[in-house]
Amino acid sequence: MKKPNDEIVIALAGQPNCGKSTIFNAVAGFKVDTGNFAGTTVTFTETKVYIGGRSIRLIDLPGTYSLSSHDTAEKVARDYLLSGNVDIIINVLDSSLLSRSLELTIQLLEMNIPMVMALNMYDEAKDKGIEIDVEELTGLTGVKACPVVGVQGIGIRELFVAALSVTREEFKPVIPIYDRDVEECIAGIANRYPAALRDVLAMNDRFVIVRLLEMDEEFEKKVKEIDGAFMRFVGEKRRLLADLHNWPESGVLSSHRHAIVLNLFEQIARVKPRTGIDYREKIDHFITNPLGGLLTITVLLFLMFYSSFWLGDIISRIIDQPLDSLGSIIKGLTGGGLVAVAISGLYDGFVAGIGIVIPYLIPLLILLAIMEDTGLLPRIAFMVDGILHKFGLHGTAVVPIILGYGCNVPAIMATRALEHERDRFITMLIIPFIACSARTVVILALAGKYLGALYTTAIYIGNIAIALVLSFLLSRFKVDMAPGIIMDVPRLRRPYINIVAKKVWMRLYEFLAFAWPVIAISSVVLSFLSYIGIDKLINGILSPLTSGLLKLPQQTGITLFLGVFRKELTILMLNAALGTADITTVLSHSQILVLVVFAVLYVPCVATISTLWKEGGWRIALSSICLNTVVSLGVAGALAHLSVWFL
Amino acid sequence: MTLLELKRGNIATVSKLNGGKSVIARMSDLGFREGKTIQLLRKAPFHGPLLVEDVNCGAKIMISRKIALSIEVHCEEAK
Repeated sequence: MKKPNDEIVIALAGQPNCGKSTIFNAVAGFKVDTGNFAGTTVTFTETKVYIGGRSIRLIDLPGTYSLSSHDTAEKVARDYLLSGNVDIIINVLDSSLLSRSLELTIQLLEMNIPMVMALNMYDEAKDKGIEIDVEELTGLTGVKACPVVGVQGIGIRELFVAALSVTREEFKPVIPIYDRDVEECIAGIANRYPAALRDVLAMNDRFVIVRLLEMDEEFEKKVKEIDGAFMRFVGEKRRLLADLHNWPESGVLSSHRHAIVLNLFEQIARVKPRTGIDYREKIDHFITNPLGGLLTITVLLFLMFYSSFWLGDIISRIIDQPLDSLGSIIKGLTGGGLVAVAISGLYDGFVAGIGIVIPYLIPLLILLAIMEDTGLLPRIAFMVDGILHKFGLHGTAVVPIILGYGCNVPAIMATRALEHERDRFITMLIIPFIACSARTVVILALAGKYLGALYTTAIYIGNIAIALVLSFLLSRFKVDMAPGIIMDVPRLRRPYINIVAKKVWMRLYEFLAFAWPVIAISSVVLSFLSYIGIDKLINGILSPLTSGLLKLPQQTGITLFLGVFRKELTILMLNAALGTADITTVLSHSQILVLVVFAVLYVPCVATISTLWKEGGWRIALSSICLNTVVSLGVAGALAHLSVWFL
Repeated sequence: MTLLELKRGNIATVSKLNGGKSVIARMSDLGFREGKTIQLLRKAPFHGPLLVEDVNCGAKIMISRKIALSIEVHCEEAK
């Protein structure tokens, strides 16, 4: 048995979208989401791994461009790095954007924590014509640099071997030296550095002084509390330095650091202009062209919904037959009474899980994974930012909203990458209206099957329209103070089959491990409830809504109620509740439409609500419940009374 | 002139970043600084953002028109 203090904490730190999570997954198995856009990882994930007989706690941090944090996700990374818990930093760099990546490296060096550099995307750099002298980089920084291609697992082993061989005693980074005026300023401040600060902050003096010169608000606040006079002294020195260079106070140090980085980059890298046609650029050129972009988005939406429909149909046709015969065998074997109720309930839930959900879920997950990995999401954000502005949102909100089509829970967490509280507020309230994969199942299995492609498309478009109108109304409550979007647009990448497959599997596994049992148990519970007659009670309580406002059969009450736990339950339990396999004998087309629209819009599942609570507080969670209830009752109620005219 | 006045395909040098502290900090983070040579690749439809490339390293970023208005550039090949 190893003692916990033998454990080594290794943190992956780097700028957004440099591939930290890909390296993490390569070591830990596929555990965290990856995507080709800044801000896929918004909170840190940790895993235990054993390498060379040593127990390691590996931390995957959100990306941060610098140690001065701007958004919630970046703050998580910064706080973790400054917490003093990290033994070794693996600084991940995007080799194809080496000079930009080095800006953070220089700041990490100043922290003086044992570190190695992972030159990730080494192949991309070569492709761009960047030749990196790895030895020279190691020599000039005092930090071991390792070429890595994370997506293919190349160089990962060497990277961790290098990381484990760095020790606190032997680690001698070359701390960057600034211009003479800056160094004199730092030295002047260091002379008056109060000992009390050393005790409280437990960080090296130079690092703290550099943070203060950068006008790091959190450091300023802490230092002011401990020694106000010292902070005033630093402020004076800082102003003098800024006046000397005629630069804004906050930018002096970062400009000097930039000069250091440029100098370093020139010494270690050679850039050759590439020859031949750059297909990637050609594709990018097409996608970002207004017409090409519109075409791309349309084709994607088409593929997204129709492949789910079409592929789903094929998959369900293959598995339907064997499942049916299995069902009749099982039902033949059991007699009557409670045992039979339990078994047939369990069987129904089991079949519903794979028979209805999986066929629609898999195609959707594959497409989402491809869209995330190629870098299409930021480009869609670019194309629609202008339109979204008219509805009070920024293009940055597109990324979480599209993720919401997979599952609302990670989508709400992804709003952490939004810099402004107002945008987070609106986006968090909009996401629960986005038809996640569970609701896609409801739409496709009901509207798709019984109403046809036209109505299915109309439901999706109507859904988007409702979200936009709501965003417009919500944006009236809060004035937009933000100057607008500034966002990284990463290079397009081809999707790697192994990574897409692993990602789809991870999300499918989540369904199989957590949702499926819930479905099967709910199914058993429903069988019992109807056996003892409690379902009628719930149906009766809900009847003013179901049969009154929505003009649906009373029996749908229980299925809509169960939908709050998992949205799939609404459709899965429908057959059981209505007591027939062919629901068209019980429900008219207009009733099916009303049922689908209501199921899509009303309160999202328990998991979404609890995530809203965690991320935004109880007010947001409560507002979301009210908003969804009002809108769903309004829209579905209106449809119930109007659809008789056209359906 | 400002970044917003550039035409598609123009190459220019950033001469001054105006605007708030956090905007300037964010742009510097993304490698967008005074003295950088940039190319305006696209202007998004419906008054959307601008797609700008750092000519030296090939990094692309999008910037809203409002921010583009506060970036002064010196255009070398105004068409």
